[in-house]
Amino acid sequence: MKDIANKIKAIAQDLLEKGEVSLFMGWEQGEFEFQTRPFFARTSQDAEKLIFNEYSIHNLANALLKFRDGQEKIGLVVKGCDSRGIVRLLEDLQFKRERLYIVGVCCPGLKDPLEAARAHSGFNPQAAPAPLAAKCRSCLQPNPVIYDQLLGEEQAPRSEGERYAQVHEIEKMSADERYRFFEEMLSPCVRCYGCRQACVACNCRTCIFDETKPQWVGRETSASDNFMYHLVKALHMAGRCVECGECERVCPVNIPLMLINQKLIKDVNQFYGPYEAGLNYVEGAKPPLSVYKENDPDDFH
Amino acid sequence: MKILSKQKLTAAFDQLAEKAELLVPMQKGATSAFLPWPEFEPGRDELRLEALNVDKPPKDAVLPQTERMYKFSASGPEVAVQEVYEISSPRIVFGIRPCDFRGIECLDQVFLTRGYADGFYQSRRDNTVFIAQACYQPGPNCFCNAMGVDPVKPQADVTIHDLGDGYAWEPLTPKGEETTEMISDLLQEKKADLPEVKPFTRQVAYAGLAEKLKDLFEHPIWEKLSDPCQNCGICTYSCPTCYCFDIQVKSFGEAGYRFRCWDSCMYREYTLMAGGHNPREASRERFRNRFLHKLQFFQERYGQPLCIGCGRCLIVCPAGISIVNIMQELKEVE
Repeated sequence: MKDIANKIKAIAQDLLEKGEVSLFMGWEQGEFEFQTRPFFARTSQDAEKLIFNEYSIHNLANALLKFRDGQEKIGLVVKGCDSRGIVRLLEDLQFKRERLYIVGVCCPGLKDPLEAARAHSGFNPQAAPAPLAAKCRSCLQPNPVIYDQLLGEEQAPRSEGERYAQVHEIEKMSADERYRFFEEMLSPCVRCYGCRQACVACNCRTCIFDETKPQWVGRETSASDNFMYHLVKALHMAGRCVECGECERVCPVNIPLMLINQKLIKDVNQFYGPYEAGLNYVEGAKPPLSVYKENDPDDFH
Repeated sequence: MKILSKQKLTAAFDQLAEKAELLVPMQKGATSAFLPWPEFEPGRDELRLEALNVDKPPKDAVLPQTERMYKFSASGPEVAVQEVYEISSPRIVFGIRPCDFRGIECLDQVFLTRGYADGFYQSRRDNTVFIAQACYQPGPNCFCNAMGVDPVKPQADVTIHDLGDGYAWEPLTPKGEETTEMISDLLQEKKADLPEVKPFTRQVAYAGLAEKLKDLFEHPIWEKLSDPCQNCGICTYSCPTCYCFDIQVKSFGEAGYRFRCWDSCMYREYTLMAGGHNPREASRERFRNRFLHKLQFFQERYGQPLCIGCGRCLIVCPAGISIVNIMQELKEVE
């Protein structure tokens, strides 16, 4: 990883010095070993600070949204999952390909700095960080799917048992059992919208949850309002989630959000597939459920 | 000195829970919080009195995340308020840390001083007893001392001190004396030495910062500091002092109720005004407001910062943003 980090630094310095990008997104070292944080270098001097290590887990494709209204060219580092996020942004017409210089890193699987921070905090004496972040233990695409330059050696996909094992378990439940399962799962939600903000597919300019006239989803932290929030969010993800796992990773109350996304991935695959979101960028291509045709054989309701 | 042996702790909880709603620090599922003692399931849940602190701040004991205010019904142009929900049932919060108790004192300033007392807050607050647990071993993210908190002398109703096999029990207010009465049969009078306070591992540069910030509103450093921030509300909802709320209504036909709920200055919608103008449209503007409120505006109005050094935001921020590092950078910037 040291080698990758040095290459990233050199690439960024070169791009910034030549003026080919006006901003380069990577990571910098925080106070603690695990405290790696997103960092945007604007000069080659800034780029001195760039690092890449086992905690460089954040999906920087999401950070691009801060710059979607600009014209400047931006360089950034992406891992396999993050690169699918770039495809998400391109397909959703949020960014133009020519505004990006993409440094892809074949990802060996990383650690979760949040898990490490919790273990280090003294708040939970029993917490022990896992050697690989949950989102990295099952990874379909560790190698970037879109890039201008590729670093590191190609990695094999990783999996923990059958891909949809947990989804199958829930599908087998009775309606009542399922209701209780989701009630228990979603009740702790504090509606901090961390999952929305961490999501590269959540790129609507005005989010439905911020609409007040009309207010589509209530702001109480009750089971019903929480259900509505997560249901609506989930359905907006159908065919669009790139499985970067950031929503679940950042959740401060540890809701297993990827379970919901997995169900949608499975269903979209089954009904409209084979399809995996963001694996292959073809200009002008649209993901399933994002196209409306007047001669659609089904009614729109 | 009064001592509560740890062997008698659950008996004390049972006795207190008979008189009031008793909230204790507990790990339930994936998170820890102050939760009602009767909900404690042995074998499944765990008490967290020995841990440094709990994940969720205790502010919802006096400022619930969602709080119904009143119920109404309309008939034609007439609206009748049917029921006002001012909660005044007795409640005891057991084992709150001195930093978090300072957080409650900050909320008191906001909701009870400067000419207006908030009835909903007041009725909860007046009927809540805080039993604080002194901190002798600061954790790696603790910096309460730099924010003006004395970790072993909280001004709560009762302070308890962990002596290993028991707690020294020190009532400080009439409410605290009353609570002590409820378990007087379990307390023993004994001589005991209080532990020594371990040194803090962090140095924080707050002194003088509020004054300096007055000239930094337009400084370009805010752009750089806010770069990693994704503008979620995790820090604000994990913070024991963030008190912003919104008042909303739920109606069904002609009847409904009004409630307030926590809000977050990190959200775009928070400052969205009628007519569509948003004075804090950019991420860095919302970010700047949060830190200026904590470190400058509150200091100017109430003479103390709105950060109490509990360290929660340093642990939960998805982007690894640290208010300690931010204070340092602001201190150093020219």
